[in-house]
Amino acid sequence: MKPATATAGIATGTAASDLGRVLAQRERRFAAALLAPAFMALLATTTFPLLFLIGTSAFRMDLAMPFADGFVGLENYRTLLTDDRFWSSLLVSLVYTGATVVLQVALGLALALLVMDMKRGQGWFRVVAILPVVLSPAVVGMIWRTFMLAPEFGIVDYLAINAGLGSKNWLGDPLLAMISVIVIHTWQWTPFAFMVLLASLASLPEDIYEAARLDRASAWQRFRRITLPLLRPAIVMVVIMRTMVALTAFAAIFTVTGGGPGTATEILNLYAYRKSFTELSIGYGSALAVALLIVTLLISGVLFALRRAK
Amino acid sequence: MTGRGQVRFEDIVKMHGEFSALKGVSFDIEPGEFFALLGPSGSGKSTTLRILAGLDAPTSGRVFIDGRDITATDARDRDIAMVFQSYALYPHMSVYENIAFPLEMAKLPVAEIDVAVKDAARKVKIEHLLDRKPGQLSGGQQQRCALARAIVRKARLFLLDEPLSNLDAKLRMETRAELKKLQRSLGVTAVYVTHDQEEAMTLADRMAVFMAGEIQQVGRPAEIFAKPNSIDVAAFIGSPPMNLLAALFADGDVLIAGHRLKTALQAAGERDVVVGIRPGALRIAPDGLKARVELIEDLGDTKVLDLDCAGTAMRIRVGDESVPPEGAVISITARAQDIHLFDPTTRRRL
Repeated sequence: MKPATATAGIATGTAASDLGRVLAQRERRFAAALLAPAFMALLATTTFPLLFLIGTSAFRMDLAMPFADGFVGLENYRTLLTDDRFWSSLLVSLVYTGATVVLQVALGLALALLVMDMKRGQGWFRVVAILPVVLSPAVVGMIWRTFMLAPEFGIVDYLAINAGLGSKNWLGDPLLAMISVIVIHTWQWTPFAFMVLLASLASLPEDIYEAARLDRASAWQRFRRITLPLLRPAIVMVVIMRTMVALTAFAAIFTVTGGGPGTATEILNLYAYRKSFTELSIGYGSALAVALLIVTLLISGVLFALRRAK
Repeated sequence: MTGRGQVRFEDIVKMHGEFSALKGVSFDIEPGEFFALLGPSGSGKSTTLRILAGLDAPTSGRVFIDGRDITATDARDRDIAMVFQSYALYPHMSVYENIAFPLEMAKLPVAEIDVAVKDAARKVKIEHLLDRKPGQLSGGQQQRCALARAIVRKARLFLLDEPLSNLDAKLRMETRAELKKLQRSLGVTAVYVTHDQEEAMTLADRMAVFMAGEIQQVGRPAEIFAKPNSIDVAAFIGSPPMNLLAALFADGDVLIAGHRLKTALQAAGERDVVVGIRPGALRIAPDGLKARVELIEDLGDTKVLDLDCAGTAMRIRVGDESVPPEGAVISITARAQDIHLFDPTTRRRL
């Protein structure tokens, strides 16, 4: 009897584990079926266009001269490396990104530190601060171009005239135009950095500041030795997120300067757009877009490495 | 270091809006003393400590350290070290960096800092943890790190805000003894906030008992235990707490539930009083106050009996020898010198 029972036991055990495997497999299949639509949509809207873009960049595709179309391999990239306008737009992109991100973090942090010390009105301040963020960048661009920067009529120009600086062609002068688009981007997105850093500041324990005071740290030392290191993860996160957005900024610059005057504010993204849809060189435009993708990946790679460090 | 660390509080009032947290607190602390601020939560003891540290400003009154008025002096410039209840370690710094921080702020040379940090770490036995971050330490180790950070800078005053309250019972007892030894060996003035009367009794040279924003009594622990000057202090000090019952005082005796007990107070006439007798001072003896044993709490070496004495709850602490069973009616008494008498209206000691 005994061996029989034992065998039966093993048999039941095997059956049970078989059933378990079947159930698990079914569950996996069901999960896959549920995921499929979203996955397909994602493939169709992001992966496929990206691959298509990379494919297109290997062709000459010129809507103005369709007869010359054809596979050119890396020709577009070779052209790109000797294209002065590409290098200047890359430089504009880097200057624009660097300046806006640094300004956003610096101003956002300063505002957050100020607001932390506000006894009253913090809630109001937060609401007012969030307003620029919820506006569409295109709308922001239009507001600045007409309402703020228009010569003679714009608020900024009015202030400049009253300050004795005289009326300036804010968007017509290459340097002023660059400064203007940087200011506009900073104006719109500093509240984001401000909100993230404020939340992070609010979560820092108060008692360590009291301990630091008793340890005879000055206000500056408390900021540098305690606040900054503790805010570091939040700051790095803001820098990463804002860098990616700034590198691919489009709408605000497009509506304010359109990349001009000349190519003074033409960031890489805008150059790719102009090449593709104004000059209709879709193949070369694609190569520019791929170059932007590579630049973005490189920079974010560096930033993420920075985030992991220590 | 004698002569340093003398503290004087002069009529300190602290208002939080309408609420007065401190209602005119005055006391003196002598150099080298271990001084405890004892009281239930919300009694103002922590506020007192924070005012002494300079973290809060008093609404009125003056604070002196070593004879100098420091009421308006910033916390930075008071030369005070403090151990916080939460330890308040800098989470991004290693134990070493935490301990070194006050010395770096004082701009000491690196070599000197290194010697001092290792010395402080050795005193609190955490020299093997110097590379860790606070997050990697146990509660007890964090507490030691906070202690090391406080003692590394030889401040003239050493404040401790319930430093043991986050430790488990066994560790608390051990650390308590070490703390006392440490303070003695450093010879520094220590001000210690606690709600645990046992901690205050064992650690303090002298203590101030706080109740509702006022100091009820200042003195040596034994003195306060033996002669509490009010009903509130009597009820707060001692575990289990003192038995307090209403009684009639008549010509040196008190009448409790029809029974007469001799007191040490020689006075003629009759009046209402509150009688206080510590559970340990009650004796089981014939011809005493009749009481029924309701419950026996076994504490191991002693037992605490909950009694019902003519409708009034009382407690008596007895040794192992003569424990009556629950439900038994026993007869209890106390020596005249163990009976405390209080005025029921002023609540003061008679």
